[in-house]
Amino acid sequence: MNAPDRYERFVVPEGTKKVSYERDTKIINAASFTIEREEHTIGNILRMQLHRDPNVLFAGYKLPHPLQYKIIVRIHTTSQSSPMQAYNQSINDLDREFDHLKNAFEVKCVFLLFFEQYICKFYDIIITGLLVYLGILLNIE
Amino acid sequence: MEGVSYARMPRVKIRELKDDYAKFELRDTDASIANALRRVMIAEVPTIAIDLVEIEVNSSVLNDEFIAHRLGLIPLTSERAMSMRFSRDCDACDGDGQCEFCSVEFHLRVKCMTDQTLDVSSKDLYSSDHSVVPVDFSDPSNHESSDNRGIIIVKLRRGQELRLRAIARKGIGKDHAKWSPAATVTFMYEPEIHINEDLMETLTLEEKREWVDSSPTRVFEIDPVTQQCSLLNYGFGYALFSAFIGNAIVNSVHNSKLLSLSSSRIISRTNSKEWCLTFIVMVVDAEAYTYDDEVLKKAEAMGKPGLVEIIARQDSFIFTVESTGAIKASQLVLNAIEILKQKLDAVRLSEDTVEADDQFGELGAHMRGG
Ligand SMILES: [Zn+2]
Repeated sequence: MNAPDRYERFVVPEGTKKVSYERDTKIINAASFTIEREEHTIGNILRMQLHRDPNVLFAGYKLPHPLQYKIIVRIHTTSQSSPMQAYNQSINDLDREFDHLKNAFEVKCVFLLFFEQYICKFYDIIITGLLVYLGILLNIE
Repeated sequence: MEGVSYARMPRVKIRELKDDYAKFELRDTDASIANALRRVMIAEVPTIAIDLVEIEVNSSVLNDEFIAHRLGLIPLTSERAMSMRFSRDCDACDGDGQCEFCSVEFHLRVKCMTDQTLDVSSKDLYSSDHSVVPVDFSDPSNHESSDNRGIIIVKLRRGQELRLRAIARKGIGKDHAKWSPAATVTFMYEPEIHINEDLMETLTLEEKREWVDSSPTRVFEIDPVTQQCSLLNYGFGYALFSAFIGNAIVNSVHNSKLLSLSSSRIISRTNSKEWCLTFIVMVVDAEAYTYDDEVLKKAEAMGKPGLVEIIARQDSFIFTVESTGAIKASQLVLNAIEILKQKLDAVRLSEDTVEADDQFGELGAHMRGG
């Protein structure tokens, strides 16, 4: 009856920002990114990608509460970088990885399909040829 | 700053590909990517499913909402789904959710007129869009199969009738499982199994057999191998017998002492050559291993820790994808990657956030400097 609508989980309400950024008041080069209507799928890949950046000293995410449909990503970097730079870089790198993955998968699919069709056609030709040959043999006799 | 990239270039190898099934290897990436893919395939790749039902007549034994629920669960061919609009952000029908850009209409009219029970199935649903129809599970190679009657919705007896109008919409599994295109999506870490050969050779045949059988799945197997061996090593006068490859039956006259010892290495001398039969424990199907640790525990219990080493490769995954039939399994994977890309794009920082921070940064630098 008072249950929230199911779409609340993944539709960003009007007037709300998808990503908000908040600098740490005490530590330089540390910040939190609040991402609305996202969960582990995005949180974990971002975290792991940030760990690959040597300028990132800390990267973590949390889902504060199962009924608050947001995640908080916290980043702490060296003075060579900034949380925002690291955040943007991680998204770009992930995007490139998925681009590559998509291509790789597509190529393999097309290749497999082509191969399959070729074999199938070949198979048909063999069968037809065999039947024709058999017909000729029978006729002769 | 520019040009630096920590992106990986994952490799893919497709092992098996059918319309509703795919098995592939994913390498050179990590579990977060594999898991994100799995999660998106299950909950965020859109399909089309019946979402609104207007019942005109229902004198069947099932109540209206029961039938509406069953209709919702019927998979509909959803190649169109990726390019379709969600009803909630369709401006062509102001959220009404009944226009051609965001919905497909279905009609069903069935009445039983005979004494025989009438099955109302997904085949009785008439779609307004020929590209969005209930999935057909019939075997395309079997044309005259009469056993294919679609998915049963309800059964009617004489005089009962079902008449309704249904609206199918685009949606995702996160909203309701009826929109999930995935029957199952799983991935496993590729196991790497190393048998310590030296330690294994200290086991008798019986012990080897016991150890191999301790695995709940068929990962290992004992293989009898005959090989010519050097006279220097085995040049002692052992008894004669014949050895058969492929089966561990040694059925000729053999040294009873040797057999009672159950040694895994038996020597025979035929044609003045020395042969030895070795029972080698082999890995026949590493992927059958379910990370149950049973063989490790068994080795420990037998007093042979380190008999086998099993490593879960952290950068290689074996995916199994089964589709409901709404979209092809290969398309499901590709759509999942596309959705992930869209999600990533959505979490990019907006211009105004960056600008606001730049100002803050200058202010901050002032304060720190002054
Ligand atoms: Zn519409």
